[in-house]
Amino acid sequence: MSQTKPMNALTLGSLILGLLALGVGAFLAFTAPPDANQGHVYRIIFLHVPSAWVGLVALFIAVAYSVLYLATSKPHYDRVATAVIEVALLFLSLTLLSGMLWGRPTWGVYWTWEPRLTTFAILLVVYIGYFVVRSAIEDPELRAKASAAISILGAVNVPITYMSVKWWRSIHQTQTFDPTTGRSNFDPAMLPALLVNILAFSILFVAFVRVRSLLAEREAVRQEMSPQAG
Amino acid sequence: MTLLTRIFWLALRDLTLELRGRTGLLAAVFFLFTMLLILGLALGPNQDDLRKAAPGVLWVALAFAGSLLAGRAFGLEVEDNTLDDLLLVPGSREWLYYGKLLFQLLLLLIVGGALLFLTAGLFYLPLSALPGILVTLVLGSIGYASVSTFYAGMLARLRGREALLPLVLFPVVVPVVLASVKATASLVEGLPLGEVFNWWQLLLVFDVIYVTLCGLLFPYVLEG
Amino acid sequence: MSPLLEAQSLSKRYGRDWVIRGLDFRLEPGEVVALLGPNGVGKTTLLRLLAGLMRASGGRVARQGRVGLLANPPAFHRHFTGEENLSYALRLEGRSPQPGAIAAALQAVGLPPGKAVLGYSSGMKKRLAMARLRLQRPDIWLLDEPEAALDAQGRELLEALILEAKSAGGVVLATHDRGWVQRLATRTLELSPAV
Repeated sequence: MSQTKPMNALTLGSLILGLLALGVGAFLAFTAPPDANQGHVYRIIFLHVPSAWVGLVALFIAVAYSVLYLATSKPHYDRVATAVIEVALLFLSLTLLSGMLWGRPTWGVYWTWEPRLTTFAILLVVYIGYFVVRSAIEDPELRAKASAAISILGAVNVPITYMSVKWWRSIHQTQTFDPTTGRSNFDPAMLPALLVNILAFSILFVAFVRVRSLLAEREAVRQEMSPQAG
Repeated sequence: MTLLTRIFWLALRDLTLELRGRTGLLAAVFFLFTMLLILGLALGPNQDDLRKAAPGVLWVALAFAGSLLAGRAFGLEVEDNTLDDLLLVPGSREWLYYGKLLFQLLLLLIVGGALLFLTAGLFYLPLSALPGILVTLVLGSIGYASVSTFYAGMLARLRGREALLPLVLFPVVVPVVLASVKATASLVEGLPLGEVFNWWQLLLVFDVIYVTLCGLLFPYVLEG
Repeated sequence: MSPLLEAQSLSKRYGRDWVIRGLDFRLEPGEVVALLGPNGVGKTTLLRLLAGLMRASGGRVARQGRVGLLANPPAFHRHFTGEENLSYALRLEGRSPQPGAIAAALQAVGLPPGKAVLGYSSGMKKRLAMARLRLQRPDIWLLDEPEAALDAQGRELLEALILEAKSAGGVVLATHDRGWVQRLATRTLELSPAV
């Protein structure tokens, strides 16, 4: 086995493809017609919605890997789950930041205590807690088990966050796509830009996770190669 | 059948030990009493203001007391180093979780009952709302205890667990606490029962999800 | 006949340090295996891995039957008496103790029934653990330095217990006392530091 596994074609390919799609998405986002009420401010939605979508779906992917880890106790699944959550956290932070930037001109404040924002903040705290717990546990097996549990229990918050706008009648926009009615609450003229951006973010997500897992694997290999170090 | 008796014996044993040791319960109740006095002084003396604040006060106090008590679920085993002997009991380990959950739930209900009594007196809760609040207390405590017991077991052997436990616990139980606050507030304001019912339903859903999920995961996160 | 315990390429590490690496081990009924080696070589870790109290970093352990562990030092609830500790130990396994069985077990190891474990000496705790093991009747007996803290009479009780265990199942015995081991052990396993 070669000790430094090179980045393979799939990783590199998805990275390049993702960046290209992001370029197309950005072009479409800036050429889409301005919104009747909000003017140009609304364009931030092309960043906000895709990152939220990919981030939230990723948390369920992390659940799948966490369950796989608990069932098989293979370190590989633990590393991928962590990589997924790390990248998801990046995307979700982007969601939060873009939302705040949009909230300031639209609602007049960066932050308000309403259900969607509150549940979203709680969600972020759960997954930040995930990394705090990881850094606090030294034993690799216990660390992996504990993180898997947090990932699984934490995901209960995802549907709550998602449905919060409906359940608590908040001032936040309702879901872009409502799964309970199958309707899209989005202007068809703006839809291509949104979909291309969601695609771009998804491909980039895959690329980031693959790179991050590769790095984690190399770290693990290096730790085993130098038993006397540290 | 034997599984149920074992769960029951474990809860009874822990409760006996806790009452003999006393430290955990006393600390929690005393902490709550101090907290209520401070909040009563800060928010009073207007009766309407106090009544309005009561649901929030009740559940914030219970959430904090719960995090103090969470460590007790496995604290007994860690102090006396007896967790190994429980783990060596043959068969699967779900019963261990449910026994500890029952113990933790009883503790929370004891403290929650005392807290409800104090809050009702100090924050002028209407008597008619008390039965409904009691139902909310039971539903909320089940959700809270299911998660706190799970994490307490998972972190039982870890150094620095006292600091870590609230950190992993609070984010996951916040939805339960929020739903409980909303239900209690609806009861105190005397809203129609249909409104309260929605919150109870949500709490029940949380309880079922967390109790099942934690019970299933528990054997995997324990040592061995 | 299948072995009571079978470990295959068992490994455990703490952080970067391997304590046990690639160990194969079998325990057959009627065997008393003495586990030897200097302090810190991994005897307690191995016993805990065999008992299933610890997740291995690699390899696996198969167990046939109930595991009993005499830990060093053994653990009990301080605020319970010896009698309460034993009766709860049985009840949590779903067994209801026979009337008088616990008192008899305590008497057999020379312990008073009504005293809280808080007031026990370490030798008394060892004796209480012996009484508990006898009541639990395991098939796989894992003893971690059982002779430590015991007086001469306690050692006699322990030897009787090991002979009992040998006929009931198999024994793995971690110890430093080589002379004592030679009389009881059917085989020895010398652990050396893992690399």
